[in-house]
Amino acid sequence: MSSVADATVARPVRSRIMRRARPYLLSLPALLVCIGILIPFGTAAYYSMMRFRLNLPMLKGFIWFDNYTALVGDPTFWHTVSVSLAYAGFTVGLELMLGLGIALLLQKPTRFHNIASILLLLPLMTAPALAALMWKLMTNPNFGILSYLVSLLGISDFKWASDPSTALFTVVLVDIWVYTPFMMILLLAGLRSLPKQPFEAAALDGVPRSFVFFRITLPMLMPYIITATLFRLLDSIQQFDIIYSMTQGGPGDTLLVFQVRAYLEFFQYTNVGKSAAILMILWAITYFLSNIFIKQWLKLRERTRGHA
Amino acid sequence: MEHVSTTERIVRGVLITLVLAFFLFPIFWILLMSFQTNETILRIPPSLFFEPTLANYTALLTGQLKTTAGNLDILFMRNLGNSVLLSTGSVLLSLLLGVPAAYAFARFRFRLGENIAFTLLSFRFAPPLLVLLPLSLYFKQLGLTNSYVGLIWVYQLICLPLILWIVRGYFEDISPDIEHAYRISGHSWRQTFTRIAIPLARPGIAAAGLLAFIFAWNNFVFALILASADKQPVTVGALAFVTASGIQYGQIAAAIVLSVTPTLLLALYAQRYLVEGLSLGAVKG
Amino acid sequence: MLRLEIRGITKSFKDCAVLDGVSLGAEAGEIVVIFGPSGTGKTVLLRLIAGVHDPDRGAIFVDGQDMTDVAPDHRGIGMAFQNFALFPHMSAFDNIASPLAARHLPPAAIRGGVERVAKLLKIDQVLAHAPRELSNGQKQRTALARALAGSPKLLLLDDPLRNVDAKLRFEMRLELPPLLRQSGSTVLYVTQDYKEAMALADRIAVLIGGQFVQVARPDDIYRLPETVQVARLFGDPTINLIDVIPHTAGNGVFATISNTAVAIGEQYRAGVGRAALLGIRPESIKISDAAAGLIPADVVATTPLNERLVTLLKTADGHELLVSQPATERAAEADRRVGLQFARDDIVLFDKASGQRLQAANGVGRS
Repeated sequence: MSSVADATVARPVRSRIMRRARPYLLSLPALLVCIGILIPFGTAAYYSMMRFRLNLPMLKGFIWFDNYTALVGDPTFWHTVSVSLAYAGFTVGLELMLGLGIALLLQKPTRFHNIASILLLLPLMTAPALAALMWKLMTNPNFGILSYLVSLLGISDFKWASDPSTALFTVVLVDIWVYTPFMMILLLAGLRSLPKQPFEAAALDGVPRSFVFFRITLPMLMPYIITATLFRLLDSIQQFDIIYSMTQGGPGDTLLVFQVRAYLEFFQYTNVGKSAAILMILWAITYFLSNIFIKQWLKLRERTRGHA
Repeated sequence: MEHVSTTERIVRGVLITLVLAFFLFPIFWILLMSFQTNETILRIPPSLFFEPTLANYTALLTGQLKTTAGNLDILFMRNLGNSVLLSTGSVLLSLLLGVPAAYAFARFRFRLGENIAFTLLSFRFAPPLLVLLPLSLYFKQLGLTNSYVGLIWVYQLICLPLILWIVRGYFEDISPDIEHAYRISGHSWRQTFTRIAIPLARPGIAAAGLLAFIFAWNNFVFALILASADKQPVTVGALAFVTASGIQYGQIAAAIVLSVTPTLLLALYAQRYLVEGLSLGAVKG
Repeated sequence: MLRLEIRGITKSFKDCAVLDGVSLGAEAGEIVVIFGPSGTGKTVLLRLIAGVHDPDRGAIFVDGQDMTDVAPDHRGIGMAFQNFALFPHMSAFDNIASPLAARHLPPAAIRGGVERVAKLLKIDQVLAHAPRELSNGQKQRTALARALAGSPKLLLLDDPLRNVDAKLRFEMRLELPPLLRQSGSTVLYVTQDYKEAMALADRIAVLIGGQFVQVARPDDIYRLPETVQVARLFGDPTINLIDVIPHTAGNGVFATISNTAVAIGEQYRAGVGRAALLGIRPESIKISDAAAGLIPADVVATTPLNERLVTLLKTADGHELLVSQPATERAAEADRRVGLQFARDDIVLFDKASGQRLQAANGVGRS
């Protein structure tokens, strides 16, 4: 009986140091990637406080916060701020309402609803840059289907993205097309995960539907709504792909949101210092928002894993 | 709650159909356009019935464009190949780096781990240009500009957080006792990791990988800044294509169709895991 | 040489010492039950011995060799977990075969080993099934089979019958001792059920507050518990405890309850004059008609419990006592005045302040 167990006679003693080191070794590559992010970040912060133009490298010098004060005094910068905020506000607000509406429509898990929700994911899976191209073709004045349809309504010569007064509308429309499914899918998952009892009790008591929605559904859905909204807000305020593909920030400077502006400052005007300063300001905004977001996201994650 | 009136059912059905129409129409229309000749496209009013042609696709695939002005070389297939290469390479690398790290974060509580996980998560929301613009200057110095290696390394910024946060959850769901039992049976740590942890987390690893592929494929700004024409993926290439090819609308449409189809198919295949992936593991579908 | 020896094991979680310098020895082939209330570190101790966690301090020896820094896969241990911990993606056969496969034995030997132990545990018919297709009882048997398959020197069983239904638990309680003895392994068995402990153990190690409060044979723990806590944990209904101050009268030691002198064993002379707790188990009290020399008490209520009859009584000076009789005896009517007699040899005396059983200075009265 004991002979079989003695097969383990040669006992290698593993040192505790090896065991303690294991998690660090496993995550070492991830750490390297982290460092690979933090170094450029630090560089950007550094450059934001310098006078640095690529075409005039000899003038490179440390100027503290002059870039920032220059921006604050620059009306075009405030235009960037207002366009970015407008873009973020419209897109997230409209996507939230639409997404919630669609989620409510699809709430019951029937075959039809499930197929619909899968199909609705397709715009979200399209590269935003390509989605912008698709809409660019659709709004082409010569053959674009949308231009044609709009002309049927009596509005001839709707300039879509080529006109400053309608450009924002057009890109917001593209954004809504791409990202509403994101809201929808998150809110739908939230709706379907809500406990049944409160609703059954309300139905038994004959509570009117609007009351149920505003006083029961909405409050219980809040964590999902907040998480999804913050998620989208964070992405929307730094939107680049759609706007750049559509108009490169034009017409003129109508759509010069933060990242587009920073990109053009860097590549067109080769003003590294200014570009970095714009990005640092944007980063500060997103850092603030993402802290709030991460707290909400963690709460949601715990709640989900608790049930799982 | 179950007695929904017929009118309500009809209204719901109509609304859902309208919603579907809005969201699916652009894809449908571009698809149609890709089978149309330039004449058909420019015809007003546009009609659903026309004689389809494969000329646009053959032009893209063969790389030759016959115009009235002569033959043009189209490098679009090159872009498609770049997309495949970059996305596949990035996902493979991120799985290789991310799965062990996800395991470490799931099983061990160590300060550095939490810091890494959160840095990667918070930079998911930081403006990409903040990192990319200085990186483009560094790349120039290091000679990594316009290289697959450099791009695949930078793409980890997109893929790695996804892998970490989704796969971590799946590892956490495995009862530690199962791994202990396997070790006590006489197996080494590495055997336990490969024969117990990874197989049991396989759905999560697959889901994370597919999603990382989709996000890598759809990326635009990374390649825009760090790659030149010959290594650009379809997202950037299509834009250049539009500017370069001028009036070849059918081909533009075909190019868009080819660029978008892979991710759409993958999404349909992996749709079960999309909610979880999109919320970075916070919400289960 | 002891098969297993642990010395001074200490383990803390978040500044709370779950195990505080515990030591224990086990002979080859012995079955030692680690018993204690929940959350007292029994499972932690088992995991430390298995090598899954490291102790903060202390050492573990198997057959005289220091195992403290050896990986779990090289300790020659079999372990069964409370929640089974079967490998969900493998069949029952492969689960059980795991320790044999790890040694790279030829397939025929593996099959033979698995079938042998599966037959012992009566699951040879379900070997092809996946764990999720098995009942809880079958899962637990599979987990036990997996632990036994490798004929380990040391068998660690972490409350294996906890998640199994009551009837099956009783069945397995009968099957386990011969099975364990036949295996020849030294067994450490963790449980919170005192009946299980007494049925299975050669010795019981009672773990309370991170320490082994008593390590002894089941009989000795029952008859001579070291502390009030140990006395309370064993026995159903719980032991009766009465505040007394022992005194001497003539040659003997006595305690006065309801103006009646109760004789206490000579070994408790050290308790004279001190505040003490007199412990007497319900089955050691006899109910008779009221008479001189017997403790007067009134019957409050009677209830059947398992195969016994339990009577709640109140003594004239207000102590509530439980008495347990075989069900065949006649129940006393309520409100009747009766006389109680304590079996002198079954009385245990504890120091009230420390809860320790009082012992004579020369060691008389130790188990």
